[in-house]
Order: sequence, then structure tokens, then C-alpha cells
Amino acid sequence: MIHPLLPNQLQKTQETMRMAAEFILRPISRKYDKAEHEPPLEMEQLNQAAAAQKKESGVSDDSAKSMDLGGRNLWAVISLEQMCWGDVGLFLARPGTGLGNAAIMAVGNPDQKDLWGKRWAAMAITEPAAGSDSKNISTTAILEGDEWVLNGEKIYVTDGDRCDCVVVWATLNKDMGKTAIRSFIVEKGTPGFTVARLEKKLGIRASDTATLIFDNCRIPRENLLGGKEEIETDIDAAKKSFGGAMQTFDNTRPMVAGMAVGLGQAALDMTRAMLAEEDYEDNFGRSMHQQTAIQNELEMLEAELEAARLLVYKSAWMMDQKMPNSKEASMGKAKAGRIGNKISLKCVEICSMQGFSEDYLLEKFSRDSKILDIFEGTQQIQQLIVARQVLGKSSSQLK
Amino acid sequence: MQEYKTEHPFDLTLSEDQQMTWDMLRKFAETELRPHARQAESDGRPSDELLEKIKSLDLIPLIIPEVYGGMGLKQDSVSNALALEALAYGDLSLAMSVSVPLLVAQIISEHGSEEQKAELLPKLVNGSIFHVGLGINNTLLSTDPYQSSVSAEENGEEIILNGSKTGVAFANQANTFLISASNESGECNLYFVNKDQEGVALEDKEFMGLKGVPLSQISLSNCKINASHKLGGHNYSINYESLVDSARIGMSALALGVCQAVLDYVVPYTNERVAFGEPISNRQSVAFMVADMAIETEALRLMIYKSAALKDLGEDFHKQASLTNRFAAHHGMKIGTDGVQLLGGHGFTHEHPVELWYRNLRAIGIFEGGAGV
Repeated sequence: MIHPLLPNQLQKTQETMRMAAEFILRPISRKYDKAEHEPPLEMEQLNQAAAAQKKESGVSDDSAKSMDLGGRNLWAVISLEQMCWGDVGLFLARPGTGLGNAAIMAVGNPDQKDLWGKRWAAMAITEPAAGSDSKNISTTAILEGDEWVLNGEKIYVTDGDRCDCVVVWATLNKDMGKTAIRSFIVEKGTPGFTVARLEKKLGIRASDTATLIFDNCRIPRENLLGGKEEIETDIDAAKKSFGGAMQTFDNTRPMVAGMAVGLGQAALDMTRAMLAEEDYEDNFGRSMHQQTAIQNELEMLEAELEAARLLVYKSAWMMDQKMPNSKEASMGKAKAGRIGNKISLKCVEICSMQGFSEDYLLEKFSRDSKILDIFEGTQQIQQLIVARQVLGKSSSQLK
Repeated sequence: MQEYKTEHPFDLTLSEDQQMTWDMLRKFAETELRPHARQAESDGRPSDELLEKIKSLDLIPLIIPEVYGGMGLKQDSVSNALALEALAYGDLSLAMSVSVPLLVAQIISEHGSEEQKAELLPKLVNGSIFHVGLGINNTLLSTDPYQSSVSAEENGEEIILNGSKTGVAFANQANTFLISASNESGECNLYFVNKDQEGVALEDKEFMGLKGVPLSQISLSNCKINASHKLGGHNYSINYESLVDSARIGMSALALGVCQAVLDYVVPYTNERVAFGEPISNRQSVAFMVADMAIETEALRLMIYKSAALKDLGEDFHKQASLTNRFAAHHGMKIGTDGVQLLGGHGFTHEHPVELWYRNLRAIGIFEGGAGV
């Protein structure tokens, strides 16, 4: 039955997480935007609120009851959407879970999931010379006895300083291209692994973004995520192997897209509240003759946001239904990333000098929003993925 | 923060019935409507033969209550939206030649007085599907879409209508018209006006698109009707805003069918068209345009489903319908114009249907009352 609506229980989740965002995150938003690189101490409260909600809603697993409500990925998207309505930077700085955790759960073997699943894991892919082009990374992993030796530099690692461990992408053999790429779990404090520096950024300043150096860093042999040591020579198997690693993104893109939706809603809500001080009211459905320019603009932005939200919910729902969702995840990320950015910038413009002012949070939303159209795959990468699927093209045909 | 009440989980799967109807109508659209779109355009109307086929779909008798000779199926809005999308995939004008009478049947079944239903519904069931013409579109530029450019002066038993309506489909085959008009207290209602009534003038009109369906303007000059000709009877008031909103979801669903048609046409075209030694879709500037079309088409689909599902729940759907209408108007036209762009000069000619879709998609967000859910 076509029913793109949230059951009562999930609307309750929205409400609870919205309150947590409003009362835990909003009051400290500006503080940690200013105090870049200072770990926020208040985040444990948010984790507790999320854990309590998860327990109460009964959507934490793939059980029948959970699926009756729509499944845990949809639950995750709607709850993080609300947390990011509060503050994206602080949400990302929430201790306990990073993108590495998604990778461990997606490609780790059962032992690895047991051992590392509950640790805070960051994800290190990007290098100074390879961003979106992740098959071109040059960090190396060489097996010596029962240890892997890692060498290389990783940049833009979210949670890279505060995490317990990092999932590091490295190549077993640079000449073999993407077939030789593997991911490894490296624990904090391992000799040869250092945090070189933290970035100063346009937005999401509450979240640490680190440069990591691996200099003859030795890790146990069993830390190869998924455990596949041999390099496939069969081209199809090879494709499948790298594709497997990339599949992590099909799981994480709906989440990052959900962040952009939450931020976009926050900007619209705040703009309306500020305009209401000067007697603004919405005027949906009327023509250009009845609407003011601002009513017209906000209606269109709201429509775009709603469109993004539904694409994102669909991609998460497909995950819960165990349907391949690569195209849909990229559609949602493309739409939400660009629209979150557009909305937040437009809202600053609508609210004029107040929007531009640090007395309010609109300007911060508009800085935070930019990264959501970049990390976890840029706008252009998402369009590329969608285009290849819609047109039925390979990466060598459509570059 | 709770906006609506439902226990049903989030779901995007078609029910068995919906899938069956979808398959049937989509096939009809591809085999009967699409091939006749150009002919209908040049004739200014569907051929009699095609109209018979459209009637034989029995979509109108399906929803008319059994006491009036119909099958009395209570159709939900989501299923209606699906049906409209499937039909418009073939051609927008031809889809409207069934969606407009269907909307009329919906309106009369839901709001008509016993007498009005008894008089008109059997005619609609018995093949005279254009017996009642629908006048919703305003002629003045600045009229609020939830009001009418026709005024209704209500004096006891007599109502005097003045003003005009345009975009009335199949007006020449109609015997009576259902016209929206605003009274002095700002309420908008629907009124039956007979064709042979004094003060009624019809004029055929041509538009840049929707050429496969005959459209007319109707002008009312001191047109006096009895209060019993008000839809629902003398004391009845229709929720006109809700009617317009429902019709906007319907028009959006039609737009969606056309958007999907454009997308499905440009994919093989850009894959086969070679320039500079390779398919043009190997270039990002072309491929990304196609990707965006696919993204916005899918988004529009979900917005329509959500609006219709909210309506089915009996919740307030005004905001959702408004957002959907805006989205359909903006992105529908964008997809229409990109469709022509991707075919270049070829797209500008009648060799391909993209220029027709371009003209038809300009109606979205403008044409009111062309379909309902």
C-alpha cells in the first residue's frame, strides 16, 4: 500500500528528538561554533536521549515489530534529521558513533563486529591527492608476518581526533587499481599512527576534522576489515570487491542526506519565527498575485525540502526492505545536499542583516550546510552515480 | 509536532489492485493514447473511435454509485493519482479527455443534491461523459485561485452570475455547465448553468498546449439561475479550497506522467545520438541533466503520493497539495524544457514528441480543474 507517511510511533520519535535538539543542542550551538576544537562535553545527554527513544520506539533491530513501524534505517534517518535540526556540527561531534562504525557493520566479519562494533570508529578515506576519486588512494598496506604495515596520509577525517579507532582505506598494491583497495581498523595509540593537525573550517566547527599520519604503523593481521587478503585477478570479482566497499555509502548517504533535510527545516523554521516578529504569515497555494515575494519564496523552498525529505525516506526505507538503493541513496543525497545549502543561504538573505548576524544561528546554518553537499560524495559524484544508473553506463563510458 | 494520525508503516509498494490498474492503463496509454496524440492535436479533439475506446475503460461508471447505474467503487486518492499518471504517460490532452469528466463525476457524486445526482449521473454512466462541462479556470490574471472570476449575486431564490471562465473542456458537447462563482461574502461555490440559458455565450479557444482537447471560454452576462441550481442545493456550501487542492494533486499527477515520458524518451535518444565520436550521454553536461530529470521526477512522484495519502486519511492536505502543485509547476516545466534541449534542433521539430510535451507541461500550475484525486 502506497503510504509515504510516518506512523504515530515514528512521529513520536520525531517529537522527542526535536525536543532533545532544542533543549540540549541549541543552547550550546554558538558556544562550540566559536570554540572550535574544544570537545563538547554535553553530548552524553543527547546519546542518552537517542538510546532511550530507540528503546521506547522498539525500532532498534530488524524484528517484526520494528518492521511494522518502517524499520531501523528509516528510524535512524528521522531521528538524526531532528538532531541536525538542532545542530549538525554537534550531532557529528556526538561521541560513540562515526562513519567507521557504518563500515564495520557493513563489511566486517562477525568477530570484527563483536570486537569493534561498540567502539567509536572514524573513517579515513580522503588523501591530499585523492578525494572523490577514492580508487586512486596511495596509502599502502603491506603484510609482514602477522602484521599489516600502513604508510600514508589521510585528511578530513571526521572524529579523527576524538574517536577510539579509525577505519583506514589503503591499497595492497598501487598498480592493481581499485581491486587492491582494502579497509583496516587502526586503534588509537598504535605506534606510528599520529594525529598531525585539526582543520579550521567554514562550518561544523564543533566536529573535529583531522589529518592522520601512518608511518610504518603496524596493526594485527585480523584488522583487515572483511578479511580478504588475496587480490582478485578476475575482473568481475574485482569490480564486486570494490563495489562492496563502496556499498557502505549506500547505507551512509541516506543518513547524511537526512542531516541536510534537518538543517534545511531548521533554517526555514527560524526564518519564519524571525519574520513572525514582523507579522509574517504563510500563504500557501495562492497565486503570485496574492503572495508576497517572501511567501512565494518560502513556499517553493518548503516544496523543495519536502521533495528532498521524501527521496531520503525512500532510500532509507529501501535499505530496511533489503532492496538495492544505490541510485535512490544518491538521488536523496544530491537533492538534499543542494537544497539544504540553497535554503540556508536564502534564509540568510531573507532575514537580511539579522540573518547575517552572529546574534542568530541562520548564518551558522548557512556555513554548516555547505559540507553536506560535499562530504559522503559531492553533488557532482551523486549526479554521476544517478546518471550512470539511469543511462545504463559504466564508469569508463561516463567519466 | 504530530501532523496526522496513522498506524500504518511507511510504505511505497503498490497494492495488487493498484498494480493491475496501473498495468492496464499504462498499456492503454502506450498503445492507444501516445500514437494518436499528434492526430488529436491537429484535429483539436480525439477521434470518435478513440473516444469510444476511452469510454470503454469504464473509469467513470466505476466511481458512480450503483443507484445511479454505476459500479459504486469508492476509489482512494492514491489510486486515482496512479491512474492519472499512467494515462498522462501516453498524452496529456487525451488523458484530460477522461480526467475532466471523471472529476465532474466525482464532484457531482460527492456534492450533488439528490435531484442533481438523479438527473445527471445516469447520463454520465450511459456514455454522455461530456454532458456536464466544468468551468474552474479564471479569465482574470489576478483572481485568487480559491476564488472565481465569476460573481454570484444571491437574492433568495434567484442567483445572478456575471463574469467568464476559460479552459472548459468539450464545452460544445455539454448541455449544462458546472461553474465556480464567488458570492458577496467571499464564498466560492459551484452552480449549474444550462447551455441554452439566456446570458450564456461560448467561444472556442486555442492554447499553446492541450490542443488535443477542445477548450472554450464561457461568458455569463446577467445570467439568472434558480437557487436549486447551486451544487448540492440551495443551502449547500462546498469546501472550494479543498476541491481546488484535490484538483491540483490531480494535475500534478498528470504532469508526472508527462515528466516520466520525457525522461524515458531522452534516455535512449542521448545514448544513441553520437557527436564528436561518442554518445552525447557520455558527457557530464548531458548526463547530469538526465540525472536531475530522474531525481525531480521521482521526488514529484513521492510528493503526489504523500498529498493523496494525507487526503485519504481525512487530514488537512492544503499545505501538502500547495507544495506539490508548486513543485510540479516548476520542475515539470524544467523537465519539459530540458527534454527539448537534449534533442537540440531535432527536439524543436514535430519529428519528436518533446516539443509537444514542452507545450503541454506549460499548463501545469496554470490549468486548474483538469483532474481530481
